[in-house]
Amino acid sequence: MSNLWKKISDGFTSSPVYKAIFRHGYDDTPRTRALTTFSNVLYHLHPVKTRRESIKIRYTWCMGGTSLLLFAILTVTGVLLMFYYVPDARRAYNDIKDIMTVVSFGPTFRNVHRLAAHGMVFTVWVHMTRVFLTGAYKPPREFNWIVGVLLLALTLLLSWTGYLLPWDQLALWAITVGTKMAAATPLFGVEGPFGAQLGMRPDNDVKFMLLGGTEVGQNALLRFYVLHCVVLPLLVVVFLAVHFWRVRKDGFSGPL
Amino acid sequence: MNNNGDEQITRRDFFSIVGWGGMAATLGGSAFSFYKFYFPNVLYESQKVFKIGKPSDYPMGLSEKWKKERQIWVVRNEGGLYAMISICRHLGCTPNWFDDKKKFLCPCHGSIYDIAGNVLGGPAPKLLWRAAIKIDPVDGQIIVDFNHRQDPDPISTENGLMVEEASREVEPFFLKV
Repeated sequence: MSNLWKKISDGFTSSPVYKAIFRHGYDDTPRTRALTTFSNVLYHLHPVKTRRESIKIRYTWCMGGTSLLLFAILTVTGVLLMFYYVPDARRAYNDIKDIMTVVSFGPTFRNVHRLAAHGMVFTVWVHMTRVFLTGAYKPPREFNWIVGVLLLALTLLLSWTGYLLPWDQLALWAITVGTKMAAATPLFGVEGPFGAQLGMRPDNDVKFMLLGGTEVGQNALLRFYVLHCVVLPLLVVVFLAVHFWRVRKDGFSGPL
Repeated sequence: MNNNGDEQITRRDFFSIVGWGGMAATLGGSAFSFYKFYFPNVLYESQKVFKIGKPSDYPMGLSEKWKKERQIWVVRNEGGLYAMISICRHLGCTPNWFDDKKKFLCPCHGSIYDIAGNVLGGPAPKLLWRAAIKIDPVDGQIIVDFNHRQDPDPISTENGLMVEEASREVEPFFLKV
């Protein structure tokens, strides 16, 4: 049995296909360990070496990694939900109803998406708190703190744009309230300081741009859908890559 | 593992089995749920079993009444009625009926069919489908089952791909009315 397994695995690892993808041996040396990281596009965002002290869970709380895991779960379940959801004001609510009642595993994927979304907001906050408490935002890591703040903002925007998509009363009024705040933006909002003096009206200010109209309607639903499913996730992926790459460049914080 | 015959699972083996087993169960369960998710249980398509009126509504020849809405032609010949599906057997376009030529011509790649669905030319590899039909005993209307189709194996002749018409005029694909 173990002979057969060894035969299969040797045949697999000595095949040209395997060797074209994994370009180094697997002997237990520091060189192999470094090559494993260097020769993999995903690993190479990660530092080649990390100190034992700086990856202890009582130091990191593993909240950044958990946020990444939740983001991956949200991407997979979100793509699945897109197969049944149409951002049309006449049918969006019914599509959610269908997902919750007649689609196989629909409630599972929607609930996982929703819970992971709440979880990600939580873990990103806790990650930020940990970074603050351990002083990991100080130079030379101040740039990565800024990237982290942008990622926090993107996480909250993802959460908020996803809020509208069920197209029920909760969604409608939450976005009505949220966008009313945008109308109070200084200079660019009709209700903000100097807004009216600069010629802002309900049909040309920043809230109008966000909603694509003066009320939460079809345009707003489509805009929030595109932001939620395409624009914001793409921005998150770009900033995540920068975030991890900066960790590699700056080194882990923590005791020596 | 020790060498004196009685195999014994070590602590390391046990955790290896539990770990990999758990991973396999998670991935397998996810794959199963993804697979089930892709097959919708409720469709918002048009009905695939539908009524098209009474046999007396259809005079001799071909009726294009339902072509646009239901993708079928209703044909009456000397023996009775059949419902032929307006889907070209080459790549699925809708052939057009030319009453002067008494032929169906497909606009996409030029398949030619006669009124019985035999292939007279072009790339079509099989004959036009006929759908299962029956009479509703209550109101006397014809019920068409669009997804229950007659698909005979044709014989290649010098005139094209043919089948014996009598072999197609059988239940439930033909109404002797």
